[in-house]
Amino acid sequence: MNSLERVVAAVRFEEPDRVPVIPQVFGHAGVMAGVPIDEYVRDGGLIAACQMKILETYGHDAVFSVMDANVETEALGSDLDYRKGQYPVVRNYAVTKDRAGHIDFGAIFGKGAPDPERAGRMPEMLKALRIMRRELRDEVLVVGCVTGPLTLASQLLGPEETLYLAIDDPAGLERLIDFAADVVIRFGVAQIQAGAHLPVVFDPFASPAVIPASFFREFALPRLRKTCEAFRQAGAPANWLHIAGPVQDILSFYPQAGIDIANFDYCVSAQEAKTRLEHTCLDGNVKSLSFVEGEPGDIKAEASALLRSFAGHRGFILSSGCEIPPESKQENISALVEISRNRE
Amino acid sequence: MGKQELQPLIEALLEGDTSEASAQVRALLGSGISVERIVSDGVEAAMSSLDAKCTLEQFNLLEIMLVGRAVMKVMNELFPGVADHSVPGLKDTVVIAALEGDIHDLGKNILKMVLTGNGYRVVDCGRDCSLQRLMDTVEREMPVAVGISGLISPVIPLVRRIRPLLKERGLDHVKVIAGGAALKQSSRENLDVDFVAESAFDGAHYIADIGGRNS
Repeated sequence: MNSLERVVAAVRFEEPDRVPVIPQVFGHAGVMAGVPIDEYVRDGGLIAACQMKILETYGHDAVFSVMDANVETEALGSDLDYRKGQYPVVRNYAVTKDRAGHIDFGAIFGKGAPDPERAGRMPEMLKALRIMRRELRDEVLVVGCVTGPLTLASQLLGPEETLYLAIDDPAGLERLIDFAADVVIRFGVAQIQAGAHLPVVFDPFASPAVIPASFFREFALPRLRKTCEAFRQAGAPANWLHIAGPVQDILSFYPQAGIDIANFDYCVSAQEAKTRLEHTCLDGNVKSLSFVEGEPGDIKAEASALLRSFAGHRGFILSSGCEIPPESKQENISALVEISRNRE
Repeated sequence: MGKQELQPLIEALLEGDTSEASAQVRALLGSGISVERIVSDGVEAAMSSLDAKCTLEQFNLLEIMLVGRAVMKVMNELFPGVADHSVPGLKDTVVIAALEGDIHDLGKNILKMVLTGNGYRVVDCGRDCSLQRLMDTVEREMPVAVGISGLISPVIPLVRRIRPLLKERGLDHVKVIAGGAALKQSSRENLDVDFVAESAFDGAHYIADIGGRNS
């Protein structure tokens, strides 16, 4: 089996030749190649080159055209701060309040969903996908990335204002998330057309660490369902949702949204994730910071325990619970991949 | 006067109703109730009730923020004209910050609300705060504790430098508390801090437990 076939088999709960292993390496690929992260996240050619290089180093099962969580909000007018060697952060949000405290949604809605071939760094993400798909064809899973609609809303307005809006003006927040969903769908579909097998939906703001499960069901779920449906129609073989943190109470909603691969973090046990999502492929959940602070023996022990826990389950991808920090030790990521490969 | 007359304020705070909470405070002040009593028997009582509800399993950030917003509004009514970065309180001082390179300050702001609601004086160094500025602030404000919230792992080396820097300035009695998504994956030993908080309330309990002058 090649990597793509292996992942698809896991998604379908068929028997893969070994458990797929996908360390979530984004900026780390740049660090490994000596490319500062602030340059990595602005250049599709660099992303493709660095991802291909670490694919050779580690021999895992996917490459990522992932920049950071600010690509869409930047394309819509948020002002980012790029610092040497760091991921960019939002300096000024695109949606602001006037002096009386009113939010001017008209200005942002008037812009419409940005054109991914022209807006901000979106074209660079598409460029990375085109290169990697051309090189890897259907051998290795090529993954793009969008922010979830709720997360994009929070990246347009700011996290605290977004939460307050849910209480002060829920209808206003619904309109903002609907707009965000249109942006995400247009961007994600463009990624699939450019060569991504699928875009991972990165939705940190939808985590129960931030919002209650009822809020997830009310605000996030309908837009995630619409997003997944659009990606499936555009040709994605699976929909991958990435929410870290204590997701126990929202896992049962995932099938309603059309999620085929569900990320789970270290704070959810393998047993609990399996019980709550019996028929959905899971990916996780080695603690991200272990790749920085731990040693290969720690990673191997944690990964072996996971493989034992999922023995016979089939629908599992060995991974970290969240992004592997850019400064992680190479030998720790190698240890994760080896654990799976040695069981071929 | 019994505690009963503060009950409408407590209820307004717990409902996150900022207008009603402000109105209640003005009424209480008008009836001669002291600022100190409003804080201790009103604001702190509301925060204590919220604390009891927020276990690690049932941690509702949205609810905390709504109560916190009302608490901050009430504190501004009680202590008018004070800058936002230094919220007054009746207990000891706590300095809080998100360190250089980390602009995610939701966690820090939650800690600020919880500590303020518990009556502490909170000096907020904001996000993206350099160690130099943090140390200067600690030296000037003489807090019982420094609270660092960190969402990203690259700040860990900075967190490890806090205690040695405090020692250099003769401030090694100041406790260092870490929290936030990245920092709580680590350990007290690895971070070289006094306490790693699982939540803002966990941090507040630690500060109460260390028994500062007025905790």
